[in-house]
Amino acid sequence: MKPRILLIEDDPRIRRFLRASLPTQGYELLEAGTGSEGLSLAASQVPDIILLDLGLPDMEGIEVIRRLREWSAIPIIILSARGQERDKVVNLDAGADDYLTKPFGVGELLARIRVALRRTGPGEEGKTADLFTLEKLRVDFDRRQVFREEEEIHLTPIEYKLLSVLIKHQGKVVTHRQLLKEVWGPSSVEQHPYLRIFILNLRRKLEDDPTRPHYLITEPGVGYRLRGE
Amino acid sequence: MDNQPSADAARRPPPRPDGPPQAAGGGVLVCLNSSSAAAQLVRTASRLAEAGRTEWFAVYVETPGDHASFADQEQIAKTLRLAAQLGGQAVMLSGFNLRDALLDFAREQGAATIVLAQPRQPRWRRLFSVSLADQLRRGAGHLDLYLISDAEAAARPRRAPRRSVWILLRDYGLAATGVGVCTGLAFVLFPYLALTNLVMIYLLTVVIIASRLDQGPSISASLLGVAIFAFLFVPDYYSFSLANTEYAITLAVMLIVSILISNLASRIHYQARAASQQERQTAALYAMSRNLTTKLSLPELLPEAVEQISRTFDSQVSILMPDGAGNLHLSAGKHFPDDYGSEMLVANWVYRYGHFAGLGTKTLPKARGFYLPLRASQKMIGVLRLEPARPNQMIELKSLRFLEALGSQVALAIEREHLSQQAHQAQVQIEAERLRNALLSSVSHDLRTPLTVIAGSASSLLEGETTLDSLTKAELTQTIYEEANRLDRLVHNLLEMSRLQSGQTKLNFEWHVLEEVVGCALAQLEPQLQHHPVVIQLPADLPMVRIDALLMERVFINLLENAIKYTPEQTTVTISGWLSHQELLLEVADRGPGLIPGDEELVFEKFYQASEGSARGVGLGLTICRSIIEAHGGHIWAANRPGGGATFRFTLPLEAGAPLLDKTLPELQKSHPDEAAHSVN
Repeated sequence: MKPRILLIEDDPRIRRFLRASLPTQGYELLEAGTGSEGLSLAASQVPDIILLDLGLPDMEGIEVIRRLREWSAIPIIILSARGQERDKVVNLDAGADDYLTKPFGVGELLARIRVALRRTGPGEEGKTADLFTLEKLRVDFDRRQVFREEEEIHLTPIEYKLLSVLIKHQGKVVTHRQLLKEVWGPSSVEQHPYLRIFILNLRRKLEDDPTRPHYLITEPGVGYRLRGE
Repeated sequence: MDNQPSADAARRPPPRPDGPPQAAGGGVLVCLNSSSAAAQLVRTASRLAEAGRTEWFAVYVETPGDHASFADQEQIAKTLRLAAQLGGQAVMLSGFNLRDALLDFAREQGAATIVLAQPRQPRWRRLFSVSLADQLRRGAGHLDLYLISDAEAAARPRRAPRRSVWILLRDYGLAATGVGVCTGLAFVLFPYLALTNLVMIYLLTVVIIASRLDQGPSISASLLGVAIFAFLFVPDYYSFSLANTEYAITLAVMLIVSILISNLASRIHYQARAASQQERQTAALYAMSRNLTTKLSLPELLPEAVEQISRTFDSQVSILMPDGAGNLHLSAGKHFPDDYGSEMLVANWVYRYGHFAGLGTKTLPKARGFYLPLRASQKMIGVLRLEPARPNQMIELKSLRFLEALGSQVALAIEREHLSQQAHQAQVQIEAERLRNALLSSVSHDLRTPLTVIAGSASSLLEGETTLDSLTKAELTQTIYEEANRLDRLVHNLLEMSRLQSGQTKLNFEWHVLEEVVGCALAQLEPQLQHHPVVIQLPADLPMVRIDALLMERVFINLLENAIKYTPEQTTVTISGWLSHQELLLEVADRGPGLIPGDEELVFEKFYQASEGSARGVGLGLTICRSIIEAHGGHIWAANRPGGGATFRFTLPLEAGAPLLDKTLPELQKSHPDEAAHSVN
């Protein structure tokens, strides 16, 4: 069965562009022009993923996210303009899974969709991987060992934890707040500068060129993302 | 009332319009008094001066015997103001003697004509009094006198001195006491001293009294002293009869000398007092003007003025200024909640008519405050309110003039501030207008180019659906994609620019690692950087900086884009950073053709393009960089590199409290100390 995508977007031109590209890539597309229409479609059609525009005419994007999250864990990818980093963070922290900045390419969109679907895909939930590999990187969770090519890299417990969280959300953006909460606990969610220092240290250990990171990608103003496959 | 210059009043014929005016070659001086004819005097002087094309002065001389009532003072102030409005110079002089003061002033200013009022007096009085005109004529051979008859002056003889009876009583009492003490001393010394030396004691007493008190008491002391001396110490003793006629000479000389001394001493005394008051006022005015000129904004300037005037006048001072609708509001100084409504009525009246009013004046005297209009060169600026610390304390003429002088300083300072604001706004408006025009033409050009390419490529694809080969199709599609991205960056820069310019951007300062910011910029430009190797030289221990990361990323993006735009492919772009004193110095350098010498500053101007049509993009990138860097408290500049190429450098201030980048940094306080030890799975 084709994965079903619900697009909540008021601009008909963007709907047309996605209508032209998504079905050819093997997805079934549902369209809604308003937030309320989107919410009722989400309830009746139960899509596998929701693409949500933040500039809807009838309600705030965050409102849509909150109402959806009351009953559903369907992955939500938000579509927003550049310069709205604060909105993005607020929406991500409210329960959205990922975001795309307009204008975006179809390639980018498909990659995000794949990441979001994989998380909820059959057999993924609750599955414990003993080994994680990403290009030159290899993490052995049983032994708590990290390798770059064949060389073992020594991480501090915090660095290891940080990497683990990013691996758990691989391909998906993780906000500063979420990272701090998962690694250090709920009382440290405002400690962004320390997070930056640990990311810097992690990059210096893992990346070939830490100034042009390949694995640990910065999402400016939002958070970090571990490169997807 | 006949105020017109008439044939019998003017002792000399008035200047005829056809002949050379007599005032030619020297200024006109008009001597004012408090009569209502003063306005006529001023107008006449103004006409005379106009005819002779010379400057003219309206002079009021304050003399020791002159105790003008407040109503008179108001009249004089009004007349002086009228003179100023008519183009004359209003001058207030203090002098012991009206005639001397006038003549001195005329000599100093080179005045050739004196205009004054001639009181109409009954013939019998003229016999006994010497008019000012007569006095002047005697002392001023070279001056023309121009007299205007003044009926009112006769009808209103000079009023009795307004000085308090108690003060007068005290002064005379003191004088009498002085003479008494002196007599006691003389009585004790009588057996030992010769008569002539006793005279000296009396003369000394008169000198002392005259140097402390006014002329009246000291002359009384002279007379009293001579009388007592004649009665007690001149034979026959205890009688006014003289044993020898020689004593008559002694007494006469003693009397003349004491009166002369008391006259001279009072004159010196008066002049010293006037001089010291003048000096205080000059000093206060100077301090005021100096303080006001150093204040640049109204919120600084007004309290300063209020403070100074309060101190000088020992009063509560407020400044009221109109809002856009012309309603007065308290702008500085003390609130006056009592009777606010009725006080504001007075203030509004003063603002409307430009004439002082309130406490102690003829207009609305019931008010608690005295209101002075603040008039600048162009219009009314506001109203100054002054409420004396002691109730019912009147403002004297001298203080009034002084207060007016201070007020006009304040008004001018406020006006200067208003004008500079207006000039600034006009400048901003012109700049905005110029910018809008430049932006429109530049943007329409810059938008049209990629749009043309996109539209052209897309239409080729549509038309050539069947005829184009797949390679060409891919190429056209690629072009569309690239041009769209270019458009996006352009729009983004435009938005950023307008946001920065309008001050809407609220900077989101946080501690950041520069390496990460540079990395983000590089990641965004990845497709464009394919043909330009980038070298990054950032020391590993570079401290964290408090910046708005998104804006700083924009700086690097714009600098890198600029480098890509103006340098040939395969030339290296270097990003470096290092610590320098208390700053972080960052640099983006290329090996391109470099800047046109002399353009190093111009490149930061809006819409600067290295050469006409050489590259795409509205020349906004570097302007945005400058705005952003300056918002961060740093500065940015450009230069040519030794060995070729351009370098753009900027500084960021280092702030205290940066989180340490040290490797030995203790790990952050863990809320769940055991959690880190577990695998996430």
